[in-house]
Amino acid sequence: MAGIEIEGVTKRFGATTAVRDLSLAIRDREFVTLLGPSGCGKTTLLRLIAGFTAPDAGVIRVGAATLSSPAAVVAPERRGMGMVFQSYALWPHRSVRQNVAFGLEVRKVRRGEIAARVARVLELVGLPGLERRYPAELSGGQQQRVALARSLVVEPGILLLDEPLSNLDAGLRERMRWELKDVQRRTGITFVYVTHDQAEAMTLSDRVAVMHEGALRQYGPPREVYGRPADRTVADFVGRVNLIPGRVVRASGEVGLVAVGGGPPLALALPPGAAEGQAVQVAIRPESFELVGRPDALAPGPDAGLPGKVADVAFLGSALDCYVTLADGSRVRVQAHPAVTLEVGQPVALRFDGRAATVFLS
Amino acid sequence: MAVAAASSGPGPSRGGAVRAEGVALAVAALALTVLVVLPLAFLLWGSVSAEGRLTLDHFAEALGSRLYVQALRNSLVLGLWTAALSVAIGVPLAWAVSRTNTPARRFVHLTVIVSYVTPPYLTAIAFVNLLSPNAGLINRFTRDVLGMPALTFDVFSMAGLVLVTVPHAFPFVYLLAASAFESVDASMEESAQILGASPWRTARTVTGPLVAPAILSGALIAFVNAIALFGSQAIVGLPGRVFTLPTRIYALFDYPPQHGLACALSLLFVGITVAALYLQRRYLARRSYGTIGGKGNRPQRVDLGPARWGVLAFGAVVFLVAVVAPYLTLLAVSVSTSWGLAFWENLTLRHYRFVLLEYDVTRRAIGNSLILAGAAATLAMGLGSLVSWIDLRTQHRGRKLLDYASLIPLGLPGIVVAVALIQFWLRVPLPIYGTLLIILLAYTGRYVPLGVRSASAAFHQVDPSLEESARVTGAGWFRTFRAVTLPLARPGLLAGWLLVFVPAIQELSASILLFSSESITLAVAVYNLYETGALEPVAALAIVTMVIITAAVALATRLGRIGARGLSAAGRTPVGP
Repeated sequence: MAGIEIEGVTKRFGATTAVRDLSLAIRDREFVTLLGPSGCGKTTLLRLIAGFTAPDAGVIRVGAATLSSPAAVVAPERRGMGMVFQSYALWPHRSVRQNVAFGLEVRKVRRGEIAARVARVLELVGLPGLERRYPAELSGGQQQRVALARSLVVEPGILLLDEPLSNLDAGLRERMRWELKDVQRRTGITFVYVTHDQAEAMTLSDRVAVMHEGALRQYGPPREVYGRPADRTVADFVGRVNLIPGRVVRASGEVGLVAVGGGPPLALALPPGAAEGQAVQVAIRPESFELVGRPDALAPGPDAGLPGKVADVAFLGSALDCYVTLADGSRVRVQAHPAVTLEVGQPVALRFDGRAATVFLS
Repeated sequence: MAVAAASSGPGPSRGGAVRAEGVALAVAALALTVLVVLPLAFLLWGSVSAEGRLTLDHFAEALGSRLYVQALRNSLVLGLWTAALSVAIGVPLAWAVSRTNTPARRFVHLTVIVSYVTPPYLTAIAFVNLLSPNAGLINRFTRDVLGMPALTFDVFSMAGLVLVTVPHAFPFVYLLAASAFESVDASMEESAQILGASPWRTARTVTGPLVAPAILSGALIAFVNAIALFGSQAIVGLPGRVFTLPTRIYALFDYPPQHGLACALSLLFVGITVAALYLQRRYLARRSYGTIGGKGNRPQRVDLGPARWGVLAFGAVVFLVAVVAPYLTLLAVSVSTSWGLAFWENLTLRHYRFVLLEYDVTRRAIGNSLILAGAAATLAMGLGSLVSWIDLRTQHRGRKLLDYASLIPLGLPGIVVAVALIQFWLRVPLPIYGTLLIILLAYTGRYVPLGVRSASAAFHQVDPSLEESARVTGAGWFRTFRAVTLPLARPGLLAGWLLVFVPAIQELSASILLFSSESITLAVAVYNLYETGALEPVAALAIVTMVIITAAVALATRLGRIGARGLSAAGRTPVGP
């Protein structure tokens, strides 16, 4: 009912194209994150959905209704959506109650009902009893909750959020993530959430849309985007990743043998178009490695892993962050168990499950 | 010794600074006492005393006589009408320039600025040439050419007074409103829109309340400035018998002078001004809504569609009335043999020759005003620098008092400053009354608040750590000030100098009571010539005034830029020990 259909939308500002021929379908009651570095067009896309800007090409539909097209744009105030801004945009001259009640007043809700609904929504966001305060008298976290309450109280079908947590300090940010997720589950509102923080996107979303230079690069559940990045840009942006140069030794359909990092050839899934002898890059995340401290104890063969030497190591508390120089000279980052003791210069072997690696053509 | 120095706070090299601070404090306190505090005290004394005895007679007469009550009422009516019209003109223009896609926004902005720097008495004189009941160009046109005498507009009336005052008052509303409109972040309005509010409702419930304090504050400043303009009230008001507080106070110095009554009226005048400024501060304080930083302010621009041409037309009308009409009229009058004769057959430059070369009064006035404005700007900035430096960089207990004392003149209309100085210097055995010096004291006193504000803004640009690093490398207090503070603050100080020079060279309200034939100033010469009915030389002198102001602005801008360039060059060059 409140699903969003974006079809071939393009938006230009002067010579720059902020959004390029982008299509995206968001299901009703889904929590979707638009993830990407700053300047990737994610906020522009959100503002296109809100109706603050008109697309140069393409259409945006909600349910059966076409809300935006180059020919006509339904005004933001007629869309029945909610929006939470990065700056919260609380009106400084109105109390918390007046801020939250605004949307209900516009909808001509009876006064008694307004009071009840304001109280209920403040309860929902964990701010009861602050109705009479003014925004300047609230902490950052409280302001954030008021902004959320102001949008939720009108029970919109769709809530748009533009980096709503980026102005909070780290601890509060993490707590608010869980609360947002909880609110979304309880209200059943479709959330479209803009962020450049991939951890936020992973925690919150049913599906993540990774954007880069105005285009959609990958769209899927967090697990899929993280484990099977569609291309190097996505792999690079979502989490940490090692890109190790390698060469296809044998190609047979979707699986082949790839020589990587100076170790024995490994059986890996190949991208379409990979041929024997072709140079590739193998993407492996630091936590996908198993670090073996005594490589000489391993039987030779494909299971022996990649031989290397510890180049640098740092203790992070919950993990060991170390750099390993492989036989071919490339350096990879490895996350190891904190109980392991490593010396710089110590020979090690890196083993990994072939399903955790993704091969890209160079 | 190092231990002793550490335990006693200031190190040994602080000796120089402490001494310098003491000297600076003494100089600033003495200057403000002589310029502001003592004259004001004598004004107060003068209003409640007659021949050495305490009395309330002066106030009784000021508040009882129909003459003065009428003047008080006229001043209030003038102020309120001017403030209302200033809002009606200033707010739409500010909104158009800062929040819409109206074409030629820079032109509209420039119109306001030019209107702002034009001397008010020039506007008044120009409109007399256009709208005096019999000889005014526009009135002659409607009466003789169109044959519609009913359309005649008599400039010598309250309506005429408002007309010539508004061009100098609405810029205050415009400037404050424009900055308020620009500081409203678009997300404030967008969050109302997305909640279902129509554009009109958004304007009423979000934008309006956010900019209202600034608009009200601008209206109050417009009010205060409007009622203090002696020139327009004398030129347009007196012939129409529309008396106001400044013109009544002025008349009280005709022989025999009634000093006590003048003091009482002056204090009433100050009371109105201070009350308005107090309200203004309160409203401005309410404007300090903490904006929570996000992506920085991004004002929402409205696409007006075809209506934007209507808005531009409105701006053009303001340009026509506030800039084109006065300047074109003055220019035309100044090159006519006699205003009213066939224009193109009677072109001449002889009025310029007259005021610049032949007539010794105007020649002296030009010289005097250049000296006075230059000296007053320098003194006001010097004193302003001292006061703001003491306030920003020292911990003296008296520094706030000093700061407040330097702001007192904001509440004093020009003519009141003159009355107060007369009260003081007539009782002091120093014969400066009638000299350039007393006018210089008046100007310096009047513009000290401008000096303090500009200097304070300039010094705020210099982080104390820059001075401290000079001190740490062994530079003394004075050397630090000369080598670090002054060069860094110079562009701001120069801008402040200009901010004082421009109003000082056109000052009339205080000069009119203080001048003598030797110390006559430019504005007084214009006014006196106008009184004798010499319209054409007046216009020529007016144009000369504007040329001087324009040249001063251009020169100071240039100097400021050279200062800034020298500064950036200095930044690249390592400074030796």
